[in-house]
Order: sequence, then structure tokens, then C-alpha cells
Amino acid sequence: MTATAIVNSLAVLLILTSLLVVESRRLKVSAYFYSLQSLVLISIFLSLAVINEAEQLYLWSITSLITKVFLVPFILLRAVKATGIVEEEPPLVGTTWSVILAALMVGLAFILVQPFHMLAVLDYKTALAVSLAHFLLGLHCMITRINALKQLLGFCLMENGSHLTLAIMAYNVPELAEIGILTDAVFAVLIMSLIAVKLYKAFGTMDASQLKMLKG
Amino acid sequence: MSQELLLLVILTIPLVAALASFTFRLRRPLEFIQVAATAGILLVASLLIKEVLVAGPVSALGGNLYLDELSFIVLMIIGGLGFILGVYSIGYLGYDINKGEIKPSDLGLYYGLYHLFLFTMLLTVLSNNVFIMWAAVEATTLASAFLVGFYRHRSSAEGAWKYVLICSAGIAFALFGTVLIFANAYQLIGQVHEAVLWTEVLKVAGELDPVALKIAFVFILIGFGTKTGLMPMHTWLPDAHSEAPSPASALLSGVLLNCGLLLVIRYYALTGQAIGFDFPRTLLLFLGLASVVIAAFFILVQKDLKRMLAYSSIENMGIIAFGLGIGGPAGIMAALIHTVNHSATKALMFGAAGNIVHKFGTRNTDKIKGVLKIAPVTGVLLIAGALSLGGSPPFAIFVSEFLTVAAALKEGYLVVTIIFLAALAVVFGAMLNFIVKSVFGAPLEGKEKGDLNLLMLAPLVALLIIVLTLGIGIPEFLNQLLERSVEIILGG
Repeated sequence: MTATAIVNSLAVLLILTSLLVVESRRLKVSAYFYSLQSLVLISIFLSLAVINEAEQLYLWSITSLITKVFLVPFILLRAVKATGIVEEEPPLVGTTWSVILAALMVGLAFILVQPFHMLAVLDYKTALAVSLAHFLLGLHCMITRINALKQLLGFCLMENGSHLTLAIMAYNVPELAEIGILTDAVFAVLIMSLIAVKLYKAFGTMDASQLKMLKG
Repeated sequence: MSQELLLLVILTIPLVAALASFTFRLRRPLEFIQVAATAGILLVASLLIKEVLVAGPVSALGGNLYLDELSFIVLMIIGGLGFILGVYSIGYLGYDINKGEIKPSDLGLYYGLYHLFLFTMLLTVLSNNVFIMWAAVEATTLASAFLVGFYRHRSSAEGAWKYVLICSAGIAFALFGTVLIFANAYQLIGQVHEAVLWTEVLKVAGELDPVALKIAFVFILIGFGTKTGLMPMHTWLPDAHSEAPSPASALLSGVLLNCGLLLVIRYYALTGQAIGFDFPRTLLLFLGLASVVIAAFFILVQKDLKRMLAYSSIENMGIIAFGLGIGGPAGIMAALIHTVNHSATKALMFGAAGNIVHKFGTRNTDKIKGVLKIAPVTGVLLIAGALSLGGSPPFAIFVSEFLTVAAALKEGYLVVTIIFLAALAVVFGAMLNFIVKSVFGAPLEGKEKGDLNLLMLAPLVALLIIVLTLGIGIPEFLNQLLERSVEIILGG
């Protein structure tokens, strides 16, 4: 197996874990799957680090391990606990259609990356397509799920997609930028989960489709 | 003080003030910090203007911080409105405490967030590093989310949730675009620390991959366009801007939108100088016109005063995007002037609306009657602000709307200009209707007469003076900044 094949197959594994995040009805299970998926993401970072001799990616892997595998799921689980809501409300689309939509998005992502001819991405077109697909899957989760925490998980998926793109195409960004991006990611999840809990306290539900006070 | 130091100082002031505000809990010290810090930012900004006008762009931290004439326009807005609304906040929150809407212990949170919000906006404007730019915009959302959800109303939590969710999702798109541009520039430049700098990327614009650049611009336009409140990514805006405390609403509409806009303009310049302006212009013309037309009708039917103003912000961001879409020196000039004019007018209007909220206890325009008789100064401020928003002379917005239309006609955009003008007429009608129905007329019974206190009037009078001054003519220093900015955008 060549180096790029390893990265590309890990990337496919990433799509599978993110489908599990989207399709699990139990919020805690979704959060655990997110943690698992972040581990897959980090293994991609490490493979890229070895293959490209990109030392920056080791640092990126360690910070991601702390933030994505432990911190973010921890924050999410805290929010689940604070609201006591175990299972998400029925989503706008059923599992079958949801998976079909997801497949379409993966297809779309592969089509979108075709015109890219930059040197940095030629080897990793599959991985790049996966990162974009991942991003779109997150968007899909955000739009079709009505549970606020599930929407937040959708955002986390989008973020993992973006971070994979970063690792593939821009692993050498200066530390300052890296710190900024990772800090934002953690604070975003923290603040959103705080507001989601506030929302629960105000409305007694996590069903975002019930948020109809502000219209027009 | 050296120029580089000034850039660092202007970022340090709000950061220190935020920490102090989160720490101290006493009302008077908090208010003192509020005034001192916002005045400090304004002072440093005015010191910097001399540098920028005389010696050109200022940079610090290895080029990661950068202030040129273009970003100075937004910096000026942050500094000016940050101070004016900072003072207004004190009066406004004092009323909230008297009414029992908030507890005195909530003040530290508000002021702390206010400074933090200013810091993130300053960082957005001053960063030249495309990744820090991106991170700073996301940070503006995070810093202001609790300002939106500041009141303990159910609707505030809803507004905050929609705000933070939609803007964060939007901004994720911008990261994709940013990465694409960086990776592309890195191949050409070969130096990481230079390839992240917008100014360096601009130098190699002509060699960037056109396809990647087009995709990147679309992603960036979706991302920062969400933050700017452009259609169809605008849906969070009316919720967030109406739910926040009024001075924060003014900051969101009058200042924050410009930060997103500045980044759209930065990438508009980059894309235009790389592959020609036709591509970014077409996109902005379309989004701009859509924003103006659709927002105009929401303004017309809106009964909630603050939501009406929020839709007006979408309309005005649309006007600016429309101006950029017209392009050329005239279109871009009109768009930049409109940015300044809208900011001053919108801060004035949200402030006046804040006075209404405290005086009438409602935002429903059906229940707001006879403002001029009950609170005469606020009434006059509302008339002036509404006329300016409606595009009537001698107020600021008339000037830039006129310039936008003139630029559009000069470029031969006849049909779109007619649609644009029709939408502006709808807005004018809506504003006139508001004045006739709510500001004039007999007050509903049982409303106590008397205007609000000086702290809630003086800052708004200052804004009115600015709106009038800009309506009469553009000051020389601003003109210089604007002309240089047009050159920066068009290249050369």
C-alpha cells in the first residue's frame, strides 16, 4: 500500500464515522462517535506528517487529540447531561433519505475537486474530496436535524472537514494562525453548548424547530 | 510613540479593559473603564490617522498587523462608534437596572463583552494574516453571542442560538477559501510567513490559479457574506440585531457588518486584480440587488422597530455590495462612502430606538405614537435618522445612494438601476410612514412626558451632527482615505 493510499483509505473511514455521528439518534452515542472520528482524523494527520515529513503536523495532532478527542466531546456530554435529553427529536428526513443525501454530497465533493491542479493537492485528491464531503455532511446534519445539540455536532463535523483540508493543503501555516484556528474551534463549541443549554432552560426543549418567537 | 507600538496599544486597550471588567463588580469603576477604554481606542486611532495619511500603511509583528487607508476607514468607524455607543451604554444600562430588567451584577459581563467584542473587531480589521483574519471574524461572533443573548428573555436565547450557529457555519466556508488561497500562494512565494499575508499574496495575484481563485472567492463570499448579512445568508441578522441591548444592536449593525464587509472587499480586490473584476463584480451585483429588493419589502411590513432597522442593515449592506458590483472607481467610491454613512446613521437610529424601548416599553410601531410630543429630542433624532435611512437630503445616506445610482447609470446598468431605485423608493415610503405614524401624531394616553437623560441623548446628538456633516460634504481627510482605498482595491 502506498503512502497516499493509506491517507485515502483513512479518509474513507472518516466518512463512515461521520455518518455514524449523523445517524445515531442517541446524543451521547453521537458524541462518542465524534470522539472516535477525531481519532481517525488524527491518524490522518500523523500519516501525512510521516509521509510529508511535516513536523508541524505532530503539534497539530497533539492539540487535536486534546481538543477534539477529549475536550469537545466532554463539553457536548456536559450539555447532554445538563438538559437530560437522551434522544434527538425525529429529524426532517428519515435515515434512508439521509444516507442517500449524504451519498450525493460525497459525489458532489468528488466532482468539485476535479478541476484542482495545484501541486499540493494532486496526490491527495481523494482526501481533499473527502474533506469537502465531510464538510457538506456537517452542513447536512445542521440543516436536517432539529435537535440543537445535533446541529452543534453538525458544526463540529464541518470543522473536522475544514481541518483536514488545512492538514492536506496548508499544514505549514505558522503556529500563530494554527493556535487562532484551534482556539476558535474549542470556544465555538463551548459557547454554542452554553447557549444550547440556555435555550433548553428557556424553551424546555432542544427542538430547534420550536424556535418560532422571532419571525418575519 | 512609534507606529508599530500604536497598533499594539490599540489592541491591548480593549483586552485589558475586558479583563478588568470581568474582574471588577462595582458599577462606577466599570463605567469609568468603559469610557476610558473606548476613548483610548478613539485617541490612538486618531493618532494613527496622521501616520497613515502622511506616511502610508503601518505594519507591525512582521507584517501580521497592517493598517492601510482601506482598513483605516473601518478602524475609524470602530473607534468613533465604539466610544459614542460606549457612553450611550452607560445611560441605557442604567435604565435597565432601574426597571429591574437586569441586575447591577450583570454590568461587568456586559462591559467585559463589549470590550472583548471591540478587540475582536479591531483584530479583524488590523490583521494582514489571512488565517488570523478568519479566526478574528469567528471570534467576533463568539464575543458578541452573549451580548445578543444578554437579556434573560426566551427570544434572546433564540436569537443568540441562530446567530452563532448560522455565522459559524458560514465562516467555515471562508476557511476553505482561505486555505485554497494560501496553498496557492505558498507554491508561488515559497515562504510560509509571507504566503499568509494578504499584502504579499496581492503582489503575486496575477500568477494565482484562476480556477482555484474563483472557487475560493465563492467560498469566501458565502463565509464573510454571511457575517455581512447579505442575502441569502442574512437570516440570522434580524433575530440577533433586534434581541441585543440597543447599544449592542447599534454596534452589531453599524460596526460589525463592516468588518465582514472589509474582508469581502479584501478578497474582491485580490480576485479582481488576479483574474479581472468581472467575476467578483457579477456575484456582488446580484447578491447586492437581491439584498436591497427583498429587505425593502421586509422593512415596509415590519411592525417591530428594531427588526425594521435590522432589515434596513441588510438593505444597506446590499447597497454597498451593489456599488462594488457596479465597480470602477465611481462604484467603489460610492460603496465605501455608503459604509461610513450607513454606520453613523444606523448607530443613531438604533440608539433612538433604544430610547423608545425605554420610554414606551415596546418595539411595536403600532403602539409607539407621538414620540415628538412625549420625548421631543428623541423624536427629532428619529426623524433625522429615518429620513437619512430613507435617502433624503440633507442627510448622509442621500449622498452615497445618489453616487451609487450615478455610478450605475454611468456604467450603463439601466434595468438594474431601475429595480434598485424602485426598492429605495419602497424604503423611503416605509420610513416616511414610520415618521408620520409613530413620531408625529397624538400620543397614546398615560405616557409620561419628558425626554431621556443626557447620557442617552448627547451621544445621539453627536451622531446626528456626524450624519448631517456627511450629508453636506465629505471631509478632506476622509476623501483622501477614500481615494487611496479605491486605488488599493483596483490596484496600482
